[in-house]
Amino acid sequence: MVVFSFFIFDRHCECIYLRQWLDATTPSPAQPLSRPVTASSAATNTTSAVEKPPAGNKLSMAEQAKLVFGVIFSLRNMVKKLCGPDDSFLCYRTGQYKLHYYETITSLRFVMLTDIRTENLKSSLHQIYVNLYVEYVVKNPLSPVEHPGGEGVNNEMFELGIDSFVRTIP
Amino acid sequence: MPADWDIWAVSDWVTKPGEWRNEVMEEGPEELSTGSRKRERKKRRQARETGFKCSALLCSEPRPRCCRWYHIVAMVVYAVLILNKAGGLIFQRDFNPGLQKLTSNDYLILAGTFHGVHAITSQISPTNETGASGLEVLESENFVMRCFQTLTGTKFLVFAEPRQPNLDVVVRRVYELYSDYVMKNPFYQIEMPIRSEGFERHLSAYIKPHQ
Repeated sequence: MVVFSFFIFDRHCECIYLRQWLDATTPSPAQPLSRPVTASSAATNTTSAVEKPPAGNKLSMAEQAKLVFGVIFSLRNMVKKLCGPDDSFLCYRTGQYKLHYYETITSLRFVMLTDIRTENLKSSLHQIYVNLYVEYVVKNPLSPVEHPGGEGVNNEMFELGIDSFVRTIP
Repeated sequence: MPADWDIWAVSDWVTKPGEWRNEVMEEGPEELSTGSRKRERKKRRQARETGFKCSALLCSEPRPRCCRWYHIVAMVVYAVLILNKAGGLIFQRDFNPGLQKLTSNDYLILAGTFHGVHAITSQISPTNETGASGLEVLESENFVMRCFQTLTGTKFLVFAEPRQPNLDVVVRRVYELYSDYVMKNPFYQIEMPIRSEGFERHLSAYIKPHQ
């Protein structure tokens, strides 16, 4: 399974964490594979990471996050309209990728883009929320309650946890 | 079961009696114990005596009488929507209860929203391939939606039960009916709402008996 990227949006519709795993098949001479670009690290050195789109991608990551949010927001409303408020949108697939969606009761939204052969990852996203987000971000005494600009989510434990978790997804 | 699970592939294992005996009955997988191999043989013998059954889900017709379309049994299609290339709703029909009843205005909004979302989903493709397609399958807890976009930009949306196999066959068949009974109708104005009795009749004749 290939995981392309992972996003967390908070209840203010803001992207508080984003991470991209560059596909090994795409040629990426400029960026080393081991160094992912996150929203937080991009905020510190704004010029290099955010404005220059990653190799082969048409959009920068910040723009892509906005589009992803627009899509999941519309689809979620569409599904709720069609099937009543207790239905929830799970995932969609195009010819190139599959987007998995999980929303907590507190309107925290977890989104993962993978290749199309992946089964539904709702439980995996739920595990990320329970085992990583709650453990390392919510229970962190130094972390603020809200996370404007990704503040508080970018701690090392969480990043390492995400990285190792994504490698274990079958 | 994967979303695009192909039922034809499964029905292929029912072959001619000779082939069956040679390949499966006598050779058999090595790792099977004698007991389970006996049971397997008994099952196959019973199947041979009663005639070859079609192996498609829930289809109990003997093989020769089972037609291609008969495979799509126990299918619940909730609704079919057709969008023109500008995102306007030109056809909407409910077949089974399962989706909420919406007003026609709500359906128009929904069609417009989906048209926009479809365009964006092809933009955010993380791969490098050119000619990225937009949203094809949307899954939620209570339904699955299959979208098929023709080369001219018309979109066909089929809403069905979750884990419904063969939705791509259904949506292509709806497209066939559309080209036969709508596009070949000399009184149909292109991009306008579809009011064709023949199309509606054939569409419900296709979708209704397979339930």
